[in-house]
Amino acid sequence: MTSTLINVFKKLNITAVTQIRLCSSATNVVSEHRDISVIKKDWKFPPQYTKPREVWIENLDTVKENKLGLFELHPLIYATVPRIDLIHRNVEWQKKYRWVSWAHTKTRAEVRGGGRKPWPQKGLGRARHGSIRSPLWRGGGIVHGPRSGKTHFFMLPFHMRIHGLTSTLSAKFAQDDLHVVKDLELPTEESEYLIDLIKERNWGPSVLIVDDTDYAPRNITVATDNLPYVNIMPVYGLNVYSMLKHDTLILTHAAAQKIEERLLNHLHSNTAIQQAKFKLDQV
Amino acid sequence: MGSRQITEKSLVMLRSLPRLSLANIRDNPGSKKNTKRGRGQHGGDKHGAGNKGSGQRQNYMRLGYETGNNPFYLRMPHEPYYKGHHHRREYPPISLLEIQKLIDTDLIDITQPIDIASIVKSGLYNFFPDKKHFGINLTDEGVDSFAAKINIEVQWASEQVIAAIEKNGGVITTAYYDPHSLFLLKNPKKFFESGQAIPRRMIPPADVIEYYTSAETRGYLADPEKISQERFRLSQKYGYELPNIENDQCYTMLCERKDPRQIFHGLEPGWVVNLKDKCILKPKDDELLQFYAS
Repeated sequence: MTSTLINVFKKLNITAVTQIRLCSSATNVVSEHRDISVIKKDWKFPPQYTKPREVWIENLDTVKENKLGLFELHPLIYATVPRIDLIHRNVEWQKKYRWVSWAHTKTRAEVRGGGRKPWPQKGLGRARHGSIRSPLWRGGGIVHGPRSGKTHFFMLPFHMRIHGLTSTLSAKFAQDDLHVVKDLELPTEESEYLIDLIKERNWGPSVLIVDDTDYAPRNITVATDNLPYVNIMPVYGLNVYSMLKHDTLILTHAAAQKIEERLLNHLHSNTAIQQAKFKLDQV
Repeated sequence: MGSRQITEKSLVMLRSLPRLSLANIRDNPGSKKNTKRGRGQHGGDKHGAGNKGSGQRQNYMRLGYETGNNPFYLRMPHEPYYKGHHHRREYPPISLLEIQKLIDTDLIDITQPIDIASIVKSGLYNFFPDKKHFGINLTDEGVDSFAAKINIEVQWASEQVIAAIEKNGGVITTAYYDPHSLFLLKNPKKFFESGQAIPRRMIPPADVIEYYTSAETRGYLADPEKISQERFRLSQKYGYELPNIENDQCYTMLCERKDPRQIFHGLEPGWVVNLKDKCILKPKDDELLQFYAS
């Protein structure tokens, strides 16, 4: 394991100032579109120690990729330390908080029968037993077995959830699996079009599309309806598990901004209420 | 999180590694501790409970028991120092140093009058009205380094604290709030969402009437004339020149005080704050107006 890592380091020839991603593929030359807009942003919380990342805004209205502009992403959200352990903790949490274990075993009291002493205490030369359903017996009750309706619910601390999201977004972005599109307008509602597009751009096969509204345009909803590996999600549903489950993450321009804004706000404000101990809303 | 170099290096490394997925993530090694008790020949030796006696059996003696001696708590006569402590008012302290820190880190806006609501909103002070906490006791830690001109309203303050604030050209008021008002001030949003009308603030109980009507303690029920005399007297006592707030540019802010029946700055009793439509509903009925008038 260690030698593999060392080899990876040697191959990488790491330099600290390397820009992670300037353009997604060298073949698509910018000069095809002369009116490239570069969106510089003034954030409420500007990056202090790292430079903003730049990402192409792509289109969805042709199968072939067109670059419509450059867009700045905040490094605190899209280029932070990819904490794999935090990502794992988040996935673990998402699996567990909704899991109710229904495995069930019977105790010696619940197994049918066994009320009578099988044989007298003394005089037979046999071992003493009081019940044929004792846990020592075959077909007897189970001690400390699983009892049904066990919940595995817990809340992951607030900032672990926040950093899980930023870590996953950063990892996706660093691995070229995060793309920003202008909007979700497709020219047709054929699934074939979307399949071709995904193949042409080397996305996927599984793709998660995130928009900032609950209502996606009709064409894309119809096109993705029969494609189980292409899913659409609003910004408020964005989560670590789904991002990892899908190979490629497609954010609309508005969604990327909204995610950035909300996470930055949480990272820079007083979160005492969110950090407080989780209480079930019951007396 | 981490230095810039580490971030860059790890992101560059990720680029050439396989795609991150549900199948290739893991927690840090050693981060999980097994809480199961060991079993088997040596795995389950003593389980940390030691050898022999009540330690092993974990049947510890009751608290204060001295294995047959007349125990200390019975040997000594009863001295009721804390008799009735659960009925007394508490004022959880915050020091001038901490107030200065809140101001320096921009968690409090000093262009507005400061009250308990704005201090709680900073997130670094908390109190519990249901535990007989009756507001802020402003303590004198950091009097020498305090250098802000503020209009602050607290529930308890010592003479040094008053002097420190007035020396910098600020003003301080001590004001009483009943527990119900304090719940409102602690979490105004929760109250406004309930859709109720803002109640009147109650008058202080008999044993603190004197404190809140006295000019030495800058009580909110004291005569303003006497307060200005006391301000001068205090400056003479501590030997500083009293800044003239009449000529100050934030004179109006420094002169702002709440009505003795008022809970929130800028909101009068009887008003209903509608957060959904972002408007304030005011009573018009004469009976209501008369009820809420101070």
